[in-house]
Amino acid sequence: MNHRFPASISMLAAVTAVVLLVATPVFGQASSSAPKAAPAAKKWTAKTPDGQPDLQGFWTNSTYTPLQRPNGVTKELYTAEEAAQIEKQAAERESEQTTPGTIADVHYDFTQFGLDRNQSTHASNMRTSLIVDPPDGKLPPVTPEGQKRQADRAAERRRMGATTDAVQNMPVGTRCIIMAGSGPPMMPAGYNSNYQIVQAPGYVMILTEMIHDVRIVPLDGRPQLPQNVRQWIGSSRGRWEGNTLVVETTNFNGKNPFQNASDDIRVTERFTRVDANTIDYRFTVEDEKTWARPWTAVLPIKKSVGPIFEHACHEGNYGVRNTLAGARAEEKRAAEAAAKNGSK
Amino acid sequence: MRTKLAVVIIGVILLLAAVPVWAHHAFSAEFDVNRPLTLRGTLTKWEMINPHSWFHIDVKGPDGKVAEWMIEGGSPNTLIRLGVTKYTVKVGTELIIEAYQAKEGTNKAVGRNFVLPDGTRLFLSLNGSVPGTPGGNPEK
Repeated sequence: MNHRFPASISMLAAVTAVVLLVATPVFGQASSSAPKAAPAAKKWTAKTPDGQPDLQGFWTNSTYTPLQRPNGVTKELYTAEEAAQIEKQAAERESEQTTPGTIADVHYDFTQFGLDRNQSTHASNMRTSLIVDPPDGKLPPVTPEGQKRQADRAAERRRMGATTDAVQNMPVGTRCIIMAGSGPPMMPAGYNSNYQIVQAPGYVMILTEMIHDVRIVPLDGRPQLPQNVRQWIGSSRGRWEGNTLVVETTNFNGKNPFQNASDDIRVTERFTRVDANTIDYRFTVEDEKTWARPWTAVLPIKKSVGPIFEHACHEGNYGVRNTLAGARAEEKRAAEAAAKNGSK
Repeated sequence: MRTKLAVVIIGVILLLAAVPVWAHHAFSAEFDVNRPLTLRGTLTKWEMINPHSWFHIDVKGPDGKVAEWMIEGGSPNTLIRLGVTKYTVKVGTELIIEAYQAKEGTNKAVGRNFVLPDGTRLFLSLNGSVPGTPGGNPEK
């Protein structure tokens, strides 16, 4: 359908990101300035009234750090100077990513709409990739079964026809069903990568701004939903391990496969508040049908500015209608031109 | 400007994965790269909605007749967080919009650049140049 959307989808994970660290210094203040090493963080001990470690508030996981380590980069961490330079260049590229008269120019300007990541709170850091395991910062090799499934899915998409042929062929994000921010794992949405966490006795609620998904995580040790109950954001169950909230999610419906995983993907997230402004967020993905080994990524979630604004995506999604109407108009023009040529 | 930046960027690509355009949908499927146009008109309504905002403007043609256009822009959420409101660009404001028309051929377009008659670009929140608003990064 276009050159831009597939790129953004494939990069959704690739650039998505964020970062974090535990073994390494957390770079606190998001900004376009050079990351600075945080002073030795005091252990965060604040509790909610019912005694849970306090994760509440407004947060963002916006970042310039890619999920996978760029080709040619062999180290885990940039120097502070390299990190600052790379983020500066990424921000410059983000602000000027179009050339008039090209497909890439057929878009509103991100800078005008405040959507460049450096215009809002984001998490700077020195990691070269969000993935910390495998140690090379790359996704593990895909198993033969995983490769076959990916090929089958691609073949099915071709069989269905162009994305402009029917609304059902459009990506789920375009149709305002779900976007990357909801996860799990929670990946940056690219813009509006904002969350609100609310804790009540026995539950943690995570509201995702893009696109207004709510995850209510019970903490009472109840079993997962039956295997035949499948959901877009899976079924999450949480528990506390010390000050770390551990959330295990299964039961995905398979219609929005994270990194082309199978329906049996299992995601384990760990949220640890390390200071007033930072949650250390790390997740491990297990799916033997897709990868030969589990893999883990680490990213910071930073304190952001509330409130969460409603993202009533479907209600204002004129784009689907306009795109389908545009495709039909082009087909009509082509048919008329063909008929005209045929009558000569 | 763009050329200069392009040169700067070359060095980056060696180290950095390309930054994607974070589009919610395929704009080149909705709008036609072969139909660029510049519209000058008066704002009648700004729909600050998701996933993308829409500017309604009245454009007076050479014959004096007024045509209504709808121009697609970005999600308003981040702008609102940066201090922009629906009053930032008041109804009645004259806008010059570089755009690409919808493939459907109707009076719809995507606005790749919004400019005021005095040449000011709209919504440059980063440097606080949004007229009448605080603008800027709340952390700065």
